[in-house]
Amino acid sequence: MSSADDIGGTPKNGAFSLRAIINNAGIGLALLVLILFFSVTTEHFLSPNNITNILTQITINLILAVGMTFVILIGGIDLSVGSVMAFAAVVAGKAITLPGLGTTELIVLAVLAGLAAGLVCGIINGGISAYWSLPSFIITLGMLNIARGAALQVSDAQTIYSFPFVFEEFGSMLIYGVPVVFLLALLLVAIAWFVLNFTVFGRLIYGIGNNEEAVRLAGHPVFWYKVAAFTICGLTAGIAAIVYMARLSIASPIAGIGFELNAIAAVIIGGTSLAGGRGSVIGTLLGAFIIGVLANGLILIGLSDFMRQMITGIVIVVAVILDHYRAKFSAS
Amino acid sequence: MKLVKFAAAAATGILLSTGMAGADDKPVVGLVMKSLANEFFQNMLVGAEQHEATRGDYELIAVGMQNETDFESQINAVENFITQGVDAIVIAPADSRAMVRPLKKAMEAGITVVNFDVALDAAAKEQQGVELAFVGPDNRGGAQLAGNALGEALGAGGKVVIIEGNPGADNANERRLGFEDSVAAYGLELLDSRTAHWETEEANQVFSTMLTAHPDVQGVMAANDSMAVGVVKALEAAGRDDIMVVGFDNIPAVGPMIEDGRMLATVDQFGQQMAANAIDLALEVVAGGPALEGWVKTEIELVTAD
Amino acid sequence: MLFSQVSGAVLSDTTIPRVKMTQSIPAPSDLILDVQGLRKSFGGVHALDGVSFSLRTGEVHALVGENGAGKSTLIKVLSGVHPFDAGAITLAGAPFRPADPHAAKVAGIQVVHQEFNLLDDLSVAENISIEAFPRRRFGLLDRAEMKRRARAALDAIGLHDVDVNAPVSRLGIAHRQLIEIARALQSDSRILILDEPTATLTERETSRLFDIVAGIKAKGVTVVFVSHHLEEVFAICDRVTVLRNGQTIATENIADTSPEGIVRHMVGRALVKEVKEASLHIGTEAVLTVEGLQTLANPHPDGVSFALHQGEILGIAGLVGAGRTEVLRAVFGADPSRCGRILRDGVPLHIRHPRDAIAAGIGFVTEDRKDEGLILDMQIAANMTLVSLTDVSSHGVLNFSRERTKAAHGGARLHLKYGKVSDPAASLSGGNQQKLVLAKWLESGPKILLLDEPTRGVDVGAKAEIYAILKDLAAQGMSMIVVSSELPELITLADRILVMAEHRIQGALLPNQFDQEAILKLAYGQPKISKEPAV
Repeated sequence: MSSADDIGGTPKNGAFSLRAIINNAGIGLALLVLILFFSVTTEHFLSPNNITNILTQITINLILAVGMTFVILIGGIDLSVGSVMAFAAVVAGKAITLPGLGTTELIVLAVLAGLAAGLVCGIINGGISAYWSLPSFIITLGMLNIARGAALQVSDAQTIYSFPFVFEEFGSMLIYGVPVVFLLALLLVAIAWFVLNFTVFGRLIYGIGNNEEAVRLAGHPVFWYKVAAFTICGLTAGIAAIVYMARLSIASPIAGIGFELNAIAAVIIGGTSLAGGRGSVIGTLLGAFIIGVLANGLILIGLSDFMRQMITGIVIVVAVILDHYRAKFSAS
Repeated sequence: MKLVKFAAAAATGILLSTGMAGADDKPVVGLVMKSLANEFFQNMLVGAEQHEATRGDYELIAVGMQNETDFESQINAVENFITQGVDAIVIAPADSRAMVRPLKKAMEAGITVVNFDVALDAAAKEQQGVELAFVGPDNRGGAQLAGNALGEALGAGGKVVIIEGNPGADNANERRLGFEDSVAAYGLELLDSRTAHWETEEANQVFSTMLTAHPDVQGVMAANDSMAVGVVKALEAAGRDDIMVVGFDNIPAVGPMIEDGRMLATVDQFGQQMAANAIDLALEVVAGGPALEGWVKTEIELVTAD
Repeated sequence: MLFSQVSGAVLSDTTIPRVKMTQSIPAPSDLILDVQGLRKSFGGVHALDGVSFSLRTGEVHALVGENGAGKSTLIKVLSGVHPFDAGAITLAGAPFRPADPHAAKVAGIQVVHQEFNLLDDLSVAENISIEAFPRRRFGLLDRAEMKRRARAALDAIGLHDVDVNAPVSRLGIAHRQLIEIARALQSDSRILILDEPTATLTERETSRLFDIVAGIKAKGVTVVFVSHHLEEVFAICDRVTVLRNGQTIATENIADTSPEGIVRHMVGRALVKEVKEASLHIGTEAVLTVEGLQTLANPHPDGVSFALHQGEILGIAGLVGAGRTEVLRAVFGADPSRCGRILRDGVPLHIRHPRDAIAAGIGFVTEDRKDEGLILDMQIAANMTLVSLTDVSSHGVLNFSRERTKAAHGGARLHLKYGKVSDPAASLSGGNQQKLVLAKWLESGPKILLLDEPTRGVDVGAKAEIYAILKDLAAQGMSMIVVSSELPELITLADRILVMAEHRIQGALLPNQFDQEAILKLAYGQPKISKEPAV
């Protein structure tokens, strides 16, 4: 699902048309090459435990990247997701450690509080940048600081811990070796894929990224669609916060520093154009896998931290170059 | 025009121990902290404020940074303190080299300077001709305490990994060296050593991958407790209860982990009192006591379940 | 050229068979360029499907054809932008296959493109020298030499009045075009290709360009002249080659042919003059009434008032900047209006957003199909249903089979030429893109259509088709407001023409008063010939 097939219109043979497969073949191939390389060069890469590890490790980035895909598709960017995640985490952390409530009430309250915190940040991001037509780059840069400051303020810069046992269990629960939190991320990918490809909303998200004025003149409320895209992004940051807490049993106000860049990288490696209007959430899934497999595999082969950082950077640059040629290829 | 007057006084090097707050003639202490987003420094600040209230005979002006590496705003803070004509500057430097020159300026302006938490770089001090004592814990010694506890438990040949702090940070370096001292002293086998940038989530990811590569690992030395928490969660996820973890800092979140044995030990450097202790030392000098010299080591303590 | 000259004509059904090549083979020594059986495909589209023609040294050779006939591709192949798939090009007796634009330039083929390639903030001299800056030692720019060369290049085409130090941004469009020509000619040129050089020029500027072309020709340079304007072709060209559907239809000596003959080659059919009939289908009730509408852009205190009747095509004429587009956009809610009333069937409407207008049965075919009309990267089907998404979805979920059906229906209704409905809109030719914009609005079932320059950039054949479609829609009872800068277009289409100047209506003309001169007088703010517009 990518390029022309994603940007609206009737998929010819269901959603998995030949062109869609070809368009994602490049990145899928790259992932396959990485997997092959690491399985040959390291002994543990394909072990069930390591696969579980990789799935766990990409979960938070994948969740953030799903929301980011919506924002980038409308031609925006959200730099605040890491901070918003931390803010949502401490809000949920405060809720879940309230005294005098039953476990179920606490968990429900915390999840709702965390999601609401993310949602509100997203609405503010989208509302301000869409209403005044301001570059989302700068608005969300502001939110990056606001949310981080709010997280520190709410938590008094203290790590919040001691959560109900069931909640912590959820973070490490496995089904046939697959982390439940990863399945949750996968569910989000599936929902996003459906929304983007099969609904009027998704169609217009692509439309706005391509030609906002044409969509507006066709009578559609562009403002609300833009707000919705940022709200989805904020909401996924809230979901990521809950997963973070469940997995690590803490809510830290300094969590998620730099996570926005990893999420953006996953989206771009997945072939979504920074200019908006072209890309797919399946690509984002593959992009998140590439980043995760790389991070994992490079440690397994024993590369130094610094080399690891360099290679991750190189992969991002190469992915964008490849995408440039892929776009050219599918255009001709 | 008060500020201008004091600025001029500072520039000519006249010592004005009366300070700017003037009214009740209490000495003024400028406290320069590192990132207040870090709960370690946040707690330290709270400790210093309580200390000010308890002693009641000095005035505290505290400044924090945006993040761990933001030494530019520390330089600005020091310069502002010089302008304001404070009596003493008590500083936890964000960069052990960059801060030497501005602190020299402060000393030339007659301000008592006390360096705590992280020591200024010896070579840089020599180059600038600065004589300045350091008040602080022995990070290397502390890490060695934790490392030794692990070595004691594992015995010679025990297989360990190190989770490092930010590459380039002085305390990260010191703690890594301390761990390595223990490795050498107890004849441990160091399988891998990687940074997780002081972060829980990153430590969780990095360690779970290290565990795959080295399933035979027996002990983990984490350069701070935040990362130790990430390691403990990775061990829980992998269902391994045979691996021992030591940390550093004694943050509240690790208390239960040490109690129930998920962590072997951590090191308390009494951070909350560290700034307050440094302020006490600074006030002694301001009151006419002898200048500090060398390394005034502060208390560190190994924390275990016992 | 405020109003371009296009004959108001529609097509007859008779198809004329392909005409045989009437060119006489010139002596080989005469030939500077010979093209045989040139083919070039993009994906499955045969842009060039066997093009053969030749250029004689020192001639001015016209290249004409409808949009999509292959002119642009041919130029791009000759200038090394695209490689060709099959065929042969001989340049001055040697085989020629340029690897890139630079190779073509070195071989002496220069192109002046439709879009300017000048850097606005640099000086004229810098722009002229940009391909090869003169250098001194250590790679320093030799400014004196650069200015000398620029002066010489400008003088060579008679541009003595242009200051080489002036930034290009200060020059008018015509001068920019001429500077491009000067830049192209300063290196040794054997063939100069001018791609639609007069599209943006006034008549005086055009005649100056023609003088320069004559001068270039006298120096033995061969000029290829690409134009939509046949009168220009007949004014300066020696021979003409007609392309259609990627093939050469004919090469003729200008002296031996006529504009009618060339149009026949271009469209493959004969055009007959249309007879203007009185429209019998126009109702008496106003479907849309505009009273005292003032736009935000540049309001006139009087505002704009008019009425549109059922089945009527109301034309709005005027110079660029007279406020015509602003009126359409304000009525549609695309831009906020300052004051005024809009009534639909006599009922006041509050239009604050395009969706309010759409809900009232109003559609808006915008002027700029690339920026406002189409989502070029999206599928044809998606564009077709953009305004009527509720028809092809239930509870917000798209029904693709319904969408395909609707797209196919919309396409068939306007004789849209496309591969598959799943092809991107960008794959369509200009005329078909315009039809798609129209089809998109028709699919929303409007009662009133606002059309802004509905045939801009559309070739003769597609124009006639669009006219026929609009007239047919009017006959079925749809009301339309058409803004156009092409007077013949308005005269052909409209049942009534309003003329605007300075954001107010200067007059209204009925068919028996339709006359280019009368319209122009009003457009330039001359006294009205009738009283307030007939409401």
